[in-house]
Amino acid sequence: MLKWVQGAYQVLLLILFSALGDLIKRILHTPIPGSIFGLLLVFTLLFLKVIRLEWLETGASFLLANLLLLFVPSAVGIIQYQHLMEAEGVRIFLVIAISTVLVMTITGWTTERLSRKREQKQGLRLWS
Amino acid sequence: MVMISGFILTVLVYAVTKRMYRTLHFVLFSPILTSLLLLVFILASFHLSYRTYNQSASWLTDLLKPATVAFAIPLYKHFHILRKHAAEIVSGIAAGVVTAISSSVLLATSMHLQASVVNSLAPRSITTPIAMDVAREVGGVPVMTAVFVILTALIGLLAAPVVIRLLHIRSPLAQGTLYGTGAHGIGTSRAFEIGGLEGTISSLSMILAALFTLVLAPLGVPLLHQWLEFHIRM
Repeated sequence: MLKWVQGAYQVLLLILFSALGDLIKRILHTPIPGSIFGLLLVFTLLFLKVIRLEWLETGASFLLANLLLLFVPSAVGIIQYQHLMEAEGVRIFLVIAISTVLVMTITGWTTERLSRKREQKQGLRLWS
Repeated sequence: MVMISGFILTVLVYAVTKRMYRTLHFVLFSPILTSLLLLVFILASFHLSYRTYNQSASWLTDLLKPATVAFAIPLYKHFHILRKHAAEIVSGIAAGVVTAISSSVLLATSMHLQASVVNSLAPRSITTPIAMDVAREVGGVPVMTAVFVILTALIGLLAAPVVIRLLHIRSPLAQGTLYGTGAHGIGTSRAFEIGGLEGTISSLSMILAALFTLVLAPLGVPLLHQWLEFHIRM
């Protein structure tokens, strides 16, 4: 029970930080979303030891563990595009599928090659 | 009651599908996919509109903002690894972002999709709240982008294990950048199931990919359109 109260309180803190991020965005007039400023703010405060990990850790794990739930309502939004999906759904699906496989191939390959190169150079292994 | 039903319904359906995924551990039973199918079925059977549903379900979408802020915690905890491997991680993500934007626009145009759909597809590879902002910037429709972002992640969840196996990707760094750049937040929650390091690299990739896209898309998308127009006229 105590864990729940603590978690809820920490989620409220994270909401506060995201609101602060929105405020920073509004002051700077940038297209960068407020939540990114909120993230950088929390990271900086942790780094400078102004705030402690325990103050946010439970709330953060709670949100991140249920991240998929937060995406569900936007996914259900697909029902608004029934006509578009009937007319162009197959082509849209193909674009997304081919492009996603390309992105994963190029990203994974680049990082893998570079980390193997470093491993050979330094003789250290991060995995076995 | 109708006012809060979308919220309650979503949480209930998610709780059930998450439990189901725990027993049937298979990507096709990922709670995001099964919840989506169940909710669409329920809304259609009871003739409920998305607007009615989303009145309260949108509270969950609003929580994506503090959830993005929450990524500061794993980032901070694993910062030493990130600093040590910055070159590999950043190069992989940058290559992925350029691929995501250019291949989406080029493929969509070559398949004769209308301009608003092409532009809505351009930021499809990054996390929802930022993708919607980018869509507005490049002449797409934000709500349509939100749907494409989810489709990307669903396809990505199925494609990632195959790509990893075929390319013999063994390093946790590469698996992390692959999931985070290719399937954003949903890919990241899958990467955390593989391991803490994979998940952290994936969340960093998701954040950096979003930032890169934010800068690159507004410049790159018009350039791609110009290039395509020039070559079609030739």
